[in-house]
Amino acid sequence: MVRTMEFSLRTKVGGVNLETPIIIASGVWPMDPDLWPEGSLEGVGAICSKGLTLAPRLGNPGCRIMETYSGVLNSIGLQNFGVKRFLAEELPALGDAGKPVIVNVAFETLEDLANALAELKTVAASITALELNVSCPNVSRGGMTWGIQSDTLSSAITVAREAWDGALWVKLSPQVPSVAQFSRICQASGAEAVVMGNTWLGMAIDNERERPFFDNVFAGLSGPAVFPLALRAVWEAAGAVDIPVIGCGGVSRPQDALSMILAGAVAVEVGTALFVDSLLPASICRLLKQHLLRRELSSVRQLVGKARNKMKVNGVNHC
Amino acid sequence: MGKSIAPADRKGVLLLSRPVGDKCRHITIELDEVTPPPAPGQFYMIREWGVFDPLLGRPLASVASDGRRLEFLFQVIGRGTSRLASLSSGAALELRGPCGKGFPESSGKKLLLVAGTLGIVPFLGPATTLRGMADVTTVLGVPGKGWEPFVEWCKERIPGIRLNSDDGLLGRRGDPVEDSLALAEPEHEVWGCGPEAMLREMGRVYEKGCKRVYISMERRMGCGVGGCLSCSIATASGMKRVCADGPVFDWRDVFGEDHGI
Repeated sequence: MVRTMEFSLRTKVGGVNLETPIIIASGVWPMDPDLWPEGSLEGVGAICSKGLTLAPRLGNPGCRIMETYSGVLNSIGLQNFGVKRFLAEELPALGDAGKPVIVNVAFETLEDLANALAELKTVAASITALELNVSCPNVSRGGMTWGIQSDTLSSAITVAREAWDGALWVKLSPQVPSVAQFSRICQASGAEAVVMGNTWLGMAIDNERERPFFDNVFAGLSGPAVFPLALRAVWEAAGAVDIPVIGCGGVSRPQDALSMILAGAVAVEVGTALFVDSLLPASICRLLKQHLLRRELSSVRQLVGKARNKMKVNGVNHC
Repeated sequence: MGKSIAPADRKGVLLLSRPVGDKCRHITIELDEVTPPPAPGQFYMIREWGVFDPLLGRPLASVASDGRRLEFLFQVIGRGTSRLASLSSGAALELRGPCGKGFPESSGKKLLLVAGTLGIVPFLGPATTLRGMADVTTVLGVPGKGWEPFVEWCKERIPGIRLNSDDGLLGRRGDPVEDSLALAEPEHEVWGCGPEAMLREMGRVYEKGCKRVYISMERRMGCGVGGCLSCSIATASGMKRVCADGPVFDWRDVFGEDHGI
């Protein structure tokens, strides 16, 4: 007898319902849908905008990307057109794609943040969630500097929480002094989800020119090389908070996404992998359904954190 | 600039791979389905299928395409191109493309094509297919000694190509921009591809009365489809992505003045 089963990939991030747990991460995807490769929306649960700031930014000078072993260093520096043009052109175009839109917002000052959110609030109905970017490693002011100290992280989330009524996610740097402690700060300050995490701070030297490769010296490392590091950080974050954790970092194969979900992520962001495989979200969804079938489960939500249960002995979580 | 069509990620198989001297490689790839052929100046991000190291595709323009089979010529420089050059027939490849916006529609025009070494690649199609449909003059510059096989390869495909070399061993001694200045007429539309210093120098053809000068820019790229902004350049009309807004730009937009970063 052939059994037919319905598999649900629907997931819930706080109050936000997504058709699939796969989110296109900030900073990797064109904001103009006519450039999206064929078939690339299949399996996508939501699209995250590029890092948005109140005023336009030109981004960093000099070389901006360098391939590493199984990875990529980038030093883009939050190039974007600013909130006004985002509202007038980019958000409507993204919205036409029919997928939930997550807006990633970065800032230099708390005043900038409040003003940017006040502008975004005018179109709140078009924004599924706000992803507060306190983790960009490629800017000299703002970015990661907000997220790696407990007091500034807390104050930024508090300001965002007051200014934004909708869903608020916080994208942390994986290099916070303590993943568990800083995830708890997010929860205590009013975040509805923790996105763990952003790129890893790295650098390269141009040996011929005997100088740092990037004008900004340091750059953000991403790609398959960082996946085991990111998975560990997701595990720690998911063990520290009651709010949902969204995994992000190095997911390059369908199996990576499944691992992050088993580690405790309710959703997974894919980034650098889309540089080379725009059909990865669809591949992930196929694997998730196959896994559900093999385990005779019906919903991806039943997989969230399942690997954690295996590590509990006598009621004590050994990790 | 030329029209762009939405790129796609496709699988291809390496059919042929031949050295062109000790510096370059000529490869033929068969796609798993028929696709619209790329416009001159468009490119593909090419990588070995399913391999994470090297990770990124390498942006390469095709020298010929019938929609199913694509030919590429590239210089072997770093890890990515060395890897591509080492693959044997039958190897599985990933191709993202065609990417970017190419040169403007060219039939019926009087074209002056100026290339620095591998900058000839996007011109190989037009220089051959436009024969009879446009008046095309192609000028190539190479360093000289050691580039003989590459030059022979180009001469076979572009009869009448004008050669220049730094050492005077191949063609006339000099650079292709100087040579093109001697040829340029006001009716010429001028296209350039090659080292950035050469492209900048091409602005001198405006002094010859040429009104339309288009150049193909190069930058390190990540995604090839305008997402990552790794390849942004400052232009007269703001920051532009070489991979998606280009690679072909109006010369004045890029070099007309200092645009900031």
